[in-house]
Amino acid sequence: MKYENLPWLILFLPLISAAVITLFTLRSKTVSSLISIGAVVAGFVMTVIFVNANGMQFSGETSLQWLEIGDLKADFGLKLDALSMMMLFVVTGVGGLIHIYSYGYMHEDRSMARFFACLSLFTFSMLGIVLANNFLMMFISWELVGVSSYLLIGFWFEKPSAGDAAKKAFIVNRLGDFGFLFGILMVWGLLGSLNFSALQNSITANPAALGAMATTAGLLIFCGAMGKSAQFPLHVWLPDAMEGPTPVSALIHAATMVAAGVYMLCRSLFLFNADSLHVISYIGGFTALIAALMAVQQNDIKRIIAYSTLSQLGYMVMTVGLNGPTPAMFHLTTHAFFKALLFLAAGSVIIGMHHEQDIWQMGNLRKKMPITFLTFTIGTLALCGVPPFSGFYSKDAILAQAWEQKSYLLFGVAVFIAALTTFYTFRLFFVVFFGKEKSDHAKHAHESSLVMTLPLVILAVFSFAGGFIGITNNYGSQFVHEHETFSAWQQFAEPFHNPFPMVCGLVAFAIGFFAALSLYKNATSDPLPKKLGGLATLMKNKFYFDEIYEATFIRAHDFLAAVADWIDRWILEGAIIGAIRGGTDLSGRALRLAQTGNLQTYAFLFVLGVALLLYFVLGK
Amino acid sequence: MNASLNFIGLEISVIGLGLVLMLADFFVPAERRRFIGYAGIAALGVLLIMSFSGNGTCSNFGFGFNNAFVNDGLSLFFKRFFIVAAILVLFIAAEFSDKLAAGSIAEYYSLIIFALAGMLFAASSNDFVMLFVAIELITVTFYVLVSFQRSKVASLEAGVKYLILGALSSSFMVFGIALIWGTTGTLNFTELAAVAPQFETSRIFLLGVLLVLVGLGFKIAAFPFQIWAPDVYQGAPTPTTAFLAIGSKAAGFVLLLRVLFTAVPSVTLHWEKLLIVISAITILYGNLCALPQRNLKRLFGYSSISHAGYLLLGVAALNANGQAAILYYLAGYLFTVLAGFLVIALVLRHLETDDVSGLAGLSQRSPLLAATMTISMVSLAGIPPLAGFFGKFLLLKSVIEAAQKSHHYGYIYLVFIALAGVVISLYYYFNVVRAIYWSKEARDLSPIALSAPAKLTAWVCIAGIFWLGLFPNTVLNLANQAATVFVAVTK
Repeated sequence: MKYENLPWLILFLPLISAAVITLFTLRSKTVSSLISIGAVVAGFVMTVIFVNANGMQFSGETSLQWLEIGDLKADFGLKLDALSMMMLFVVTGVGGLIHIYSYGYMHEDRSMARFFACLSLFTFSMLGIVLANNFLMMFISWELVGVSSYLLIGFWFEKPSAGDAAKKAFIVNRLGDFGFLFGILMVWGLLGSLNFSALQNSITANPAALGAMATTAGLLIFCGAMGKSAQFPLHVWLPDAMEGPTPVSALIHAATMVAAGVYMLCRSLFLFNADSLHVISYIGGFTALIAALMAVQQNDIKRIIAYSTLSQLGYMVMTVGLNGPTPAMFHLTTHAFFKALLFLAAGSVIIGMHHEQDIWQMGNLRKKMPITFLTFTIGTLALCGVPPFSGFYSKDAILAQAWEQKSYLLFGVAVFIAALTTFYTFRLFFVVFFGKEKSDHAKHAHESSLVMTLPLVILAVFSFAGGFIGITNNYGSQFVHEHETFSAWQQFAEPFHNPFPMVCGLVAFAIGFFAALSLYKNATSDPLPKKLGGLATLMKNKFYFDEIYEATFIRAHDFLAAVADWIDRWILEGAIIGAIRGGTDLSGRALRLAQTGNLQTYAFLFVLGVALLLYFVLGK
Repeated sequence: MNASLNFIGLEISVIGLGLVLMLADFFVPAERRRFIGYAGIAALGVLLIMSFSGNGTCSNFGFGFNNAFVNDGLSLFFKRFFIVAAILVLFIAAEFSDKLAAGSIAEYYSLIIFALAGMLFAASSNDFVMLFVAIELITVTFYVLVSFQRSKVASLEAGVKYLILGALSSSFMVFGIALIWGTTGTLNFTELAAVAPQFETSRIFLLGVLLVLVGLGFKIAAFPFQIWAPDVYQGAPTPTTAFLAIGSKAAGFVLLLRVLFTAVPSVTLHWEKLLIVISAITILYGNLCALPQRNLKRLFGYSSISHAGYLLLGVAALNANGQAAILYYLAGYLFTVLAGFLVIALVLRHLETDDVSGLAGLSQRSPLLAATMTISMVSLAGIPPLAGFFGKFLLLKSVIEAAQKSHHYGYIYLVFIALAGVVISLYYYFNVVRAIYWSKEARDLSPIALSAPAKLTAWVCIAGIFWLGLFPNTVLNLANQAATVFVAVTK
């Protein structure tokens, strides 16, 4: 491996940046943000150098032994292969653009330095997940990602809703991580190693190595992905996480952190047997479906995109479950481009609208914010899978995977979701950028500064061209044994190999688009609730998941907490500790009575002591 | 005889220094006598450096005065220890001078130096006569030092109590020495070690040894001879208390170690139960009595009892690691306890009370002193990474080793009792910390002016506490070397 030290540098630069900002430069916004941006951009440049030197088809590990406890040897090591290097590009590349954008977006915020410190911490943690060569290191980074996500969602902690959302995200993620940890322990117990390559070797050597626990172990590990990638039933945190600043939503809750679950599944795909993959695919499909339905009736620009993210993550998880890591990672990558673009463009809209997020207050912004409009359009087309935008290729790969695996139910669901996606995205698109201005803010909206629009343009380029720049070649080399490299033209024409899914996808787009066009082209209020009645209310209220959880799990939890509190307060603290404390105190006070201050007493006690001593030793 | 003088050059120099300081009284005007102490400090500093450079007589290993006096690794360790203690106590005394009768400070300094000379002799004792003389030199000097504030009733009362109880314990000890001589015909430790196994069953001989232990138990304030400590600690002038807490106690321990492990090691082996019981009760007594205590100096008195108990853990362990741990613990205790007394001397010297509440608001009045006291308390409580933690760790480790080796259940109980004692002590130590930082009772919030030497002393103590806690190897190696002196006897 050439430049063996570069990956370490890529990994640790953001951590150093976070430390330096926190310790030294918290007072200076500009210096702090430049340090943070510098760290991630340098990471991107080093990634390019490293990949150029080693080539994409390369695979290697570099590690230090970190700790050894009994049989457990934990390495602190980096795994470098096509999968992790592509993710390096996504995290440092898309992440870098978002860092730059944040410089403009957060400029007015007085805690901008803290923001960038958290952002750097996040980047470090995410790179840790991507580069980890073993489950332990991945889990540590996994938790660090959770922490930094918590810090960033709750960045505006003065707002109670932000604080609540941060807690919700953290706790829900912890639920998933609990299962993940169990899964890791189980794998370690059964296979005796945590290193991905060693695990893969032992599974290849003996496919039944996990024995009867294979499904359980697989599903426990999937729990981790369920939390991070917000899959049903742990999906509830992601929409609330939109309380964080918009660049955070773009970076963490669209491009990287939520993709970590999918990445982890692909990294450890060899561990999953057919049964667990089956469950995973259905959970993914179901999440995709309910999230798309919820998105149809949201009015907050960021929440719509958030539900869309949920739905797309469902797609990816479903595809992993259908044994298609290549299309899943392909979609993950293109999604990182166009979803980050959509979020950042939405952020630009929000800034232009003076922090108004309700789409029914907007309208006709295409003239006021031309660059934002143009880039948003590209993002929309990519998300909806219009050829030749990147989303078209990755979504088609997913549909083709479902079709080829003969999973017709999931295929049908996926096509239906594609139509829904187009519908809600264009609903957003028409209401925000077309029609009449629906408020004063919309009339006085203005385009954002260059530091914000430039990242939009770059992301737009990739959202457009992501389908035929060789992404599938790279992932394919990781997952498919006899993989053939496609030229750009072959990639361009790839969907025609299996025309039926492609046609279904295009029809779904057409249906969704014309439905949205007819309903929302010039709408000033939402016509859908009248037409759908109860179903619309259900969608608007997210199928009442929050309320159901509130009434069941949280109630039960509160009850248990109250019981534990009572036991702690009265039995442990009051009776047991109280008796020990009181007894100690009392004996102290009693013993003190011996110290009368009277010299005769003292002399008497002294001689008594001598007598005692002599009796003790000589008296027997 | 003349050859023997080569061994006691250090002691002679120290006595000479004491005389010079006393004489300086005549030539220095009363208001400047305070500064005589710094000359004494400088002289002791030179002696300390000599002890480390190998030029001092204390590094000249061997026996003198018909084997009554010995210079070995153990004595070297303790002589350095006593000199460091005396230097720091002189610093504290210099700060305390305005509380003493006008102009009497030079006398006070010289008494400290004489007590130091007694401690140096104690470190080198290899004979019961030498032991007795050294102890009396220390104790008699302390009678005067304790009652030095002649205008204060409390000081006089403490002096009388110390005198009478001290005399009582000395009489027991001298009786014990007589019995030992009567049965064995020798007073020399080395010779005694050879003949002691024959007398193991002689009750008179054992009685003699026990009565000597009574005297030493009084010095270190171990149960059941601890009763004087709180009253004397409270009444004595603060620098005296400081020196009593560290110097006198350490002298007691070096003699205890010498008697138990070089004079009568074969007898000591049978006393593990006795040592375990005494150690356990001393720990519990000191810590329990300290709980309701509000008077700071009295609190240190009880705390000093409990620390005698912890130190006895190392004796009870009956192994080389335990002995080395005692030396290490004393080194940490030196800086810790003197840090505490420095703060008491500086803060409470202008107050009528010695109450813990006198420290209220200290965090605002003098952050350095607040930090010093806090670090001292935290180290006394035995919390990492400070000296007190590592010392306790070593002591407990030696006891656990003893438990593994001897399978004596008493050792296991002892470990748990010691840990319970640590937990109890957290309460009263942190009560002091709470008074410093969170007490609302503070009336006087005026800043405390600190002289440069006082600041230096505080920093030295803090540095010592951290150094011993974080980099224990240097001192631990010295302690291990010193402990090689003891005869390793097994059953």
